[in-house]
Amino acid sequence: MPATDCQGSSAAAFTNFGRSILSLRRDQVHSMDGAHPDSASSHELDLDSFQKNVADRISGLSSGPDEILSLSWVQKLLDLFVISQEEFRMILFNNKSQLHRAPMDRLIAEYFERSVKALDVCNAIRDGIEQMRQWQKLIEIVLIALDNQRTFCDGQFRRAKKALIDLAISMLDEKDSGSALSHRNRSFGRNTNNSTSRDSTHQRSLGHYRSLSWSVSRSWSAARQLQAIGNNLTAPKGNEVMATNGLAVVVFTMNSVLLFVMWALVAAIPCQDRGLQVHFYIPRQFHWAGPLLSLHEKILEESKKRDRKNACGLLREIYQIEKNARLMNELSDSVQFPLTEEKEAEVRQRVQELSKVCETMKAGLDPLERQVREVFHKIVRSRTEGLDNLGKGHGSD
Amino acid sequence: MAENGEEKLLAMARHIARTLGHNDDTMADDILQIFSNFDGRFSRDKLTDLDDPRPSASLQLSINSLDRQISQYVASDHPIWADSADSSAFLDSVDELIATIREWTPLAAADKSVSTCLVRADELLQQSMFRLEDEFRSLMERGGQSFELSESTGNLSFDSDDDEDEGVIGNGENHHQIPVAQPISEYDIVIDALPSATINDLSEIAKRMVTAGFGKECSHVYSSCRREFLEESISRLGLQKLSIEEVHKMPWQEIEEQIERWVKATNLALRILFPSERRLCDRVFFGLSSAADLSFMEVCRGSSIQLLNFADAIAIGSRSPERLFKVLDLFETLRDLMPEFESVFSDQYCLVLRNEAVTIWKRLGEAIRGIFMELENLIRRDPAKAAVPGGGLHPITRYVMNYLRAACRSRQTLEQVFEKDSSSSLSVQMSWIMELLESNLEVKSKIYRDPALCSVFMINNGRYIVQKVNNSELGSLLGEDWIRKHNAKVRQYHSNYQRSSWNKILGILKVENSSSSAPNGAAARSMKEKLKLFNLSFDEICKTQTPWVIFDEQFREELKNSVIKILLPAYGNFIGKFQNIPEIGKHPDRLIKYVVEDVEARINELFQGNVAPAGGGRK
Repeated sequence: MPATDCQGSSAAAFTNFGRSILSLRRDQVHSMDGAHPDSASSHELDLDSFQKNVADRISGLSSGPDEILSLSWVQKLLDLFVISQEEFRMILFNNKSQLHRAPMDRLIAEYFERSVKALDVCNAIRDGIEQMRQWQKLIEIVLIALDNQRTFCDGQFRRAKKALIDLAISMLDEKDSGSALSHRNRSFGRNTNNSTSRDSTHQRSLGHYRSLSWSVSRSWSAARQLQAIGNNLTAPKGNEVMATNGLAVVVFTMNSVLLFVMWALVAAIPCQDRGLQVHFYIPRQFHWAGPLLSLHEKILEESKKRDRKNACGLLREIYQIEKNARLMNELSDSVQFPLTEEKEAEVRQRVQELSKVCETMKAGLDPLERQVREVFHKIVRSRTEGLDNLGKGHGSD
Repeated sequence: MAENGEEKLLAMARHIARTLGHNDDTMADDILQIFSNFDGRFSRDKLTDLDDPRPSASLQLSINSLDRQISQYVASDHPIWADSADSSAFLDSVDELIATIREWTPLAAADKSVSTCLVRADELLQQSMFRLEDEFRSLMERGGQSFELSESTGNLSFDSDDDEDEGVIGNGENHHQIPVAQPISEYDIVIDALPSATINDLSEIAKRMVTAGFGKECSHVYSSCRREFLEESISRLGLQKLSIEEVHKMPWQEIEEQIERWVKATNLALRILFPSERRLCDRVFFGLSSAADLSFMEVCRGSSIQLLNFADAIAIGSRSPERLFKVLDLFETLRDLMPEFESVFSDQYCLVLRNEAVTIWKRLGEAIRGIFMELENLIRRDPAKAAVPGGGLHPITRYVMNYLRAACRSRQTLEQVFEKDSSSSLSVQMSWIMELLESNLEVKSKIYRDPALCSVFMINNGRYIVQKVNNSELGSLLGEDWIRKHNAKVRQYHSNYQRSSWNKILGILKVENSSSSAPNGAAARSMKEKLKLFNLSFDEICKTQTPWVIFDEQFREELKNSVIKILLPAYGNFIGKFQNIPEIGKHPDRLIKYVVEDVEARINELFQGNVAPAGGGRK
C-alpha cells in the first residue's frame, strides 16, 4: 500500500486528512479496486456515518432531557454503547477481508483485549447495582416506619434510624467502613434504654454489612481495570489509517467509546476500588472528541465537588439518597415528641424525597442491570465473531 | 401498719400521676412508669386506676398490662428463646399487642384518647420487634453454630449410611465457624442447617414480624445470615472469587483444578445446598411465600453468580484445543443441572438466575465449537517443516486422531453442541477436520523427494487414521463409506509405492521371449548386464528402504509380501533363464549375487526403521 508519504506523528498527520479519509480513500479504491465503486462508496459512508453517529449520540447525552449521571442518563449511556458496538460489528463484518491484514489484525486484537477487560467492569457494576438494591430495601424500611398515615412516635423514628444507619454504613466506601461500624454502634445505642444487652448482639451481627460482597476477588480494582483498558490507547497514525482503508479510525473510535462508557459507569455506580484517573488522549479532529471530552470534564467536576468527593458513586440518585438520608438522620436525632408542625413538615418532606428516589430506583435498577448484561453479551459476541474471522484468516494467537 | 403506709403511698402516687398528667394519658403513664421503676412497691397493677370512666380505659389497661409483660422481656439480658416458656409468653404478648392495635385502630380517628393510647402501643410494638429481630438473628447464628450431628433432632434426612459420604454439617470441629456441607457423592439428600426446633422458633418470629409490617427487616436478617453460610460453604469447597481476567491469566493447570472443584461445588450447590436453603426458607417463612421467595433469592444470588461467572470466564477464555475436555465437563455439568436450576429457581425473583444459567450454558457450547474451529486452524496452519524420517507417522496425525477419539467419548454432548444447524452437525464437523488433516498431510508428503517414500508416508498416516477410526465412535460418525473410501486410498498409496519403487526393477528382470532366437552371445551379455543392474538397483533399494518405516506390523508384512509376490517370481524366472543360457559360462552362480531366498530375506529386512532410530515412527 503506497502510504509512505503519510507516515508521521499521529495527531499531526491526522489533521491533514482527518476529514478527508473519504476522498483519500476514493483515490485508493480507484487505483486498487476500480471494479466495485459502489461497494466502495457505501463503505465510506459506513465509516463516516459511524463517526457522525457516535458524535451525535455523545452530544445527545449532554444535551438530552436526562440529567447527567442520573439513572436514566446511565441507561442512555449504555444504549449508546450497544448501538455503537452494533454498528462497529457491522462495519467489521462488511470488511472481513481487511481484518487479516496488518496492522488491522493487531488493532482488532487489541480492541478485543480491551473489551475483555471491560467484561470485568460490567460484572463489578452488576454487583454495584445489587448493592443499590440493598439500599433501596433499607429506604423502604424507613418509608414504612415513617408512613404518612400515622402520627409520628419515638419508636418509628428509632426504626427508621436503624435502617438509616445501616444505609449510611453500607454506602460508605469500604476503605472507611471500619470506623463507621464503631460509629454505628455508638449512634445506635443512643436511643435504646436497654442498649447494654444489645450492643454485643449487634457487634456480632455487624458481619452482615460486609457480607454482600463483590463477586470478584478482594484485590480486584475498578480503577486499575480502567487504566488497563486505556493503556496505550492512541489515535491511529496516518499510515495506519491509510493501510486499513480508514478502519483504524473506526477501531479507535470504538475503543474510546468503550473506555469512556466503562469509565462513566465506574464513576456513577459503586464498585470495588473506584478511581477515575484515566486520561483520554483524543485528537480534537474527531467529530466526537469535543462532546466526549466535555462530558468527561463535567463528570470529573462532579467528582470533585465537596459533597461528592467521598461518594461511593456519582449517580444522581445516590446523591439524593445520601443527602436525604443524612438530613433525615439528623432530624431523627433532634426530634422531640410531640413533633412541632414545622418539624413534622420537614420529616414529611424528607420522606417524600426518599420515596421519590426509591421509586426511581425500583423502576430503574432492573432495566439497568439487564442493560449491563446486554453490554456484556454484546462484547462477548462481537469478540467471538472477530476471533472466528481472524482465526480463519491466519494466526489467531 | 406497713401495709397501711404502702396504701397511702400508692394513693399519693396515683394522685400525683393523675394531677400531673391531667389531660395526657401518656404522661400519666410515664409518671407511673417512673414510680414503678423507682420502687417495687409501686407496681403498675397497684397504681393503675381501676375506675377510669373514659372509653379508652380498657385499652389503656390492656396496654399497661402488655407493657409490663413485654418490657420485662425487652429489657432482659438473656436470650428470651433460651427458655421456651419465656419465648411463648413473649410471643403471646406480642400477638395480643398486635391484635389490640388492630382492634382499636379504627376507633383512633374518633377518639383522641384512643389514638394516644395507640401511639404507646405502637411504641411497644417497635420495641418488641427490635427485640424479635435480635432474637431472630441470634437464633440464626446460634442455630448454625451449635448444631451438631450428634444432636438427634431427628430432622436430618440423610439417605446414605456412609459417614464419609454424607453431607456432614456442623460437625463441631471448627468451634466458631459456620457449619458447612462437605463434598459428597450421593446427592439425594437434604441438609437442615438449623435444628428443627430452631426453625420453628424462627418461623414463629417471622410470622409476627411480617404481620406487624417488619417483614423487610426479618428477611434482611435472614438473608444476610444464610448468604454468609452459603458463601462460606462455597469457599470451603475450594472455589475462589475470580475475575474474568484473573481466570484468563491463570496457568491452565490451575484452571483445571479450579474446574474440577467447580464441577463438584456446582453439583453440590444445585443439588443440595440451594434446595436445602429453599426448604429452610419455606419453613422459616411458612405461609409467607413472597417473603420466602425474596429471601431465598437474596440468599442464593451471590453464590449462584459466583459459580456462573467462573463458567462464563472459561467460556470466554482461550480456545486452545487441549481445553476441550474440561470445557465439556463444565458444559455437561450445567446441562445436567438444568432441571435443578429450573426447579430451585422457579419463582419470579429467581428467574434472572435461571436465565443466566441457560445463557452461560449455551455460551459453553459456543466455546466448544470455537475450540474445534481453533483445532481446524491449527491443522490447516501446521507447517511442513522437517520431514519425519523414514516416512513414519507424523505427530500431527497421532495428535489429531487421538484427540478426536477422546473427544468422541463425549459424542452425545458434542452432537448436542453441533446439532444447532444440520449443516454443521458433528459428523460433518468430523469429516471436515479429517479432510483438513489429510490435505495438510499431503502437503507434508511433498517434502520427500522420493515418490516411494512419499507414498510410505501417506500409507503410514492414512493407515493410522483408518485404524483409529475403525471400531470407534469416530468411525460410526464418519460412516462405513468413509472408512471404505479411506481403506481404498491406503491401497492406492500402496500401489503407488510399488509402482514407484519396484516397477523399474521389474522392468529390468523382463526377459524378452525372443532372447532364445537372438544371437547367443548378445543375449548372454544382455542378461549379464541385466543381472548386474538388478543387483545394483536391488542393493540400492534395500539400502534406501531399510530405514524406512511402516509402523503397522501387519501392514508391513502385507507390504513386503506383496513385493515378494511380484518380485520373486520375476526374479526366479529371470535367474532360471539366466542359468540356462549356455554362453554365461560354467559358473553362472558366481554372477548371481542373490539366490531367490536371499532376495526374500532382504525384502523382509525392509521397513525396520532400525538404521534411523530417531525416526520416531515406530514405538
